[in-house]
Amino acid sequence: MSLKMPEPDRAVLDRRTAIIADLRRIVPGEGVIDSAAEMRPYESDGVTAYRQPPMVVVLPETTAQVAGVLRYCHDNGIKVVPRGSGTSLSGGALPLADGVLLGLGKFKRIREIDFDNRVVVTEPGVTNLAISQAVAHAGFYYAPDPSSQIACSIGGNVAENSGGVHCLKYGMTTNNILGCEIVLMTGEVLRVGGKAAEAAGYDLMGVITGSEGLLGVITEVTVRILQKPETARALMVGFGSVEAAGECVARIIAAGIIPGGMEMMDKPAIHAAEAFVHAGYPLDVEALLIIELDGPGVEVDELIDRVEAIAKGCGQATLQISTSEPERLLFWAGRKAAFPAVGRISPDYLCMDGTIPRGKLPEALARIRSLSEKYGLRVANVFHAGDGNLHPLILYDANKEGEMDKAEAFGADILRACVELGGVLTGEHGVGVEKRDLMGDMFSEIDLNQQQRVKCAFDAKGLLNPGKVFPTLHRCAELGRMHVHGGNLAFPELPRF
Amino acid sequence: MTMSVVETLKIHDAAEVEEAVKAALAADTPLEIVGHGTKRAIGQPLAPCRALDLSALDAVRDYEPSELVLTVQAGAPLADVTSLIDSKNQEFAFEPMDTSVLLGTAPGRGTVGGMIASAFAGPRRIKAGAVRDHLLGATAVSGFGETFKAGGKVVKNVTGYDLCKLIAGSWGTLAVMTEATIKVMPKAESEATLVLHGLDALTANRAMTLALGSPFDVSAAAHVPASALSHGGVLAELDGGRRGLTLLRLEGIGASVAHRVGSLTSALQGFGGVDVVGEESRRLWAAIRDVAPFSAAGPLGAWAVWRIVCPPAAGGELGQALARETGGDLMYDWGGGLIWLAMPPASDAGAGRVRARLDAVGAHASLIRAGEDVRAAVDVFQPQGAGLAALSDRLKRSFDPRDILNRSRLVRSVGP
Repeated sequence: MSLKMPEPDRAVLDRRTAIIADLRRIVPGEGVIDSAAEMRPYESDGVTAYRQPPMVVVLPETTAQVAGVLRYCHDNGIKVVPRGSGTSLSGGALPLADGVLLGLGKFKRIREIDFDNRVVVTEPGVTNLAISQAVAHAGFYYAPDPSSQIACSIGGNVAENSGGVHCLKYGMTTNNILGCEIVLMTGEVLRVGGKAAEAAGYDLMGVITGSEGLLGVITEVTVRILQKPETARALMVGFGSVEAAGECVARIIAAGIIPGGMEMMDKPAIHAAEAFVHAGYPLDVEALLIIELDGPGVEVDELIDRVEAIAKGCGQATLQISTSEPERLLFWAGRKAAFPAVGRISPDYLCMDGTIPRGKLPEALARIRSLSEKYGLRVANVFHAGDGNLHPLILYDANKEGEMDKAEAFGADILRACVELGGVLTGEHGVGVEKRDLMGDMFSEIDLNQQQRVKCAFDAKGLLNPGKVFPTLHRCAELGRMHVHGGNLAFPELPRF
Repeated sequence: MTMSVVETLKIHDAAEVEEAVKAALAADTPLEIVGHGTKRAIGQPLAPCRALDLSALDAVRDYEPSELVLTVQAGAPLADVTSLIDSKNQEFAFEPMDTSVLLGTAPGRGTVGGMIASAFAGPRRIKAGAVRDHLLGATAVSGFGETFKAGGKVVKNVTGYDLCKLIAGSWGTLAVMTEATIKVMPKAESEATLVLHGLDALTANRAMTLALGSPFDVSAAAHVPASALSHGGVLAELDGGRRGLTLLRLEGIGASVAHRVGSLTSALQGFGGVDVVGEESRRLWAAIRDVAPFSAAGPLGAWAVWRIVCPPAAGGELGQALARETGGDLMYDWGGGLIWLAMPPASDAGAGRVRARLDAVGAHASLIRAGEDVRAAVDVFQPQGAGLAALSDRLKRSFDPRDILNRSRLVRSVGP
């Protein structure tokens, strides 16, 4: 691991035994884990290339225990890394050698289902899918659906502002969350928002969502639920070029159609997926679009016709329209299994996550192709085409000397290209440790300082999940200093009226 | 309008904003951030300050209809920007409110910056969200006198903290926004509104809850009691003296709207006869969005107006209690989740009686229309509990440590 993390605090490590004893008083029973063997599952999250055993794992069961642990760590200068289900694709829950790994896995209860206000109040350890399942009997569901929804926790979704294939139409996590209970590093418990559409004052829920566990620990979430669309159907359209597929996507949007999902795969991804799930994908096309329309039957039928006409106008090579639910799910099966499918054709792969303006797709793919040649590594691309979120999968073999470093450098170049094309470093996976050192390619030092000042407002000692998101850590006092000298500042006369 | 402005600085390019903030810091004179000035009468009265007029920052930087993305300078007139995106059959899905009806300012004025800073979403908020959900990126000058960038220019982005969320609805107290990137959405091809007549607030609340809990994708749900219809206007005409309107909007392609009109009408059978409005639907919802029944030019023009946000299913009961206890007149949007309450003139706009009921149901209230003396005497925006207030104050200082931007607009200073 070439990643540089904050220097472990020797004084903290020297007190490890006493600290563990103290933590056991706050979280009694089996909630404190300190043996190397039992801590092993917590060494990494979804990014298994990065591993680090924590100093100790703590698994609280109540908000009071979370507050107790945080207050204790705050008072004793101990770092804390929060963790949900550990499915992060950016290393957001990577432990620290001198830190407490605070797992929220025991917060597994849905506290309230309120159909009249169309919300669910839940503990953070509940999985994304379990929320939808809990309200399915009344026709409701929770809209954001990251591919890991069977395992990922709603608390982790809030921390990462998770997306999914339906977020073009239904939004990301941030658009579907109304409130939370959050514990600050000092142990202070705050309630933000609730069942109302918006809260008073600054939009704290908005800045907490996607803050990657650096601002506070969430112990309860209030999510919006929606009625399931009456029906959904999908088109699967193959194109002889990526450009034609991109044009088709642009024309669909320009026609005022926002599909429930609109996904693109390039040839290597199509082949890998087809070999894995046999979904009937055409193998001689350069790009495949899966376009899903949802809503009332009459609406879906008409939109399918319109999209079909647009696809034909863009010179489609193949076109299939689902006529049954099993067929629709089969169209999706290959796409949803794209990551494991690629896993089968390569010993290892890196999954990148940049966003570009959709119109720049051909340019982005051309640059990825030339980088692929430069690094001598293969790449397969899957793409949330509706919102420009690109997932290049870089194939490599960690057992070959230097290949992982090469793959990482390739990935970093792709993300820099995304930024150069007017996009961003991450569309839904988060910065974590994985993209931390690229933040300077997207943001200036002033931009990053402003973000870190916000961090200071929540966690003045910088003890919560340090080493994530920001490439350089500054002390809050230094960030808060005003570099303006009263009266001595030269400023030009401003025009007035 | 604001008596405390000592002079106005007219900004000509974004770089001047940074200079003006630095100058204000050096002189320790706060700045009032102004676009067209249409919402200056909202908020606590300001401390003596200079006004920073951003209306000349009015350029459209970039508009890519097929990317669903628009980048404009903060001073761009909302009316111009709206016609621009309308020409491509797109819109701001959150239906920004035109506050000129309620406040009596010149119609058709207001800037994109003001729209973002005030964040008043219209009826479609229940389906499409508010400006917070559509602000993708911003360039702004903090109270440190530094120009920073937040977010990006693409519709999907989780890189770094989402500072755009803090900027939206912050009333210019965190930073002076100079440029914004906003998500736009295609306009619906057609719409229709189902109308129920003569329901009391509790029954109307139940009807709206049923509709919003149905699979028929209702994009707006409002209830206007008879009392609020006694002042004329498009809503009163529709009511025709039948004692109150409950409105449910369906939008989409023609065939879908027609289908859902049928399905929802059947689902609402228990609530009496249902009328369907097609042609007039847009005008009805503009009247709801802009709170036309309490218009500044109407008979209640001198009354104070509160905006109360609550859990939607609690709206009917809360509204009935408030009407009974305050003698005010009210109307409901967002399926009951937004209550507009007009209060007979009083030196405190009835703040105590209004707010006494809110905590129990998780609601909050802002005083949107009131004279300066009234606004000086009450908390215009809902006071927060100690913990949230302290955190908000720390956030404010993390952007603006000397409190140079719109000083005291959000929080009443309890001075000596």
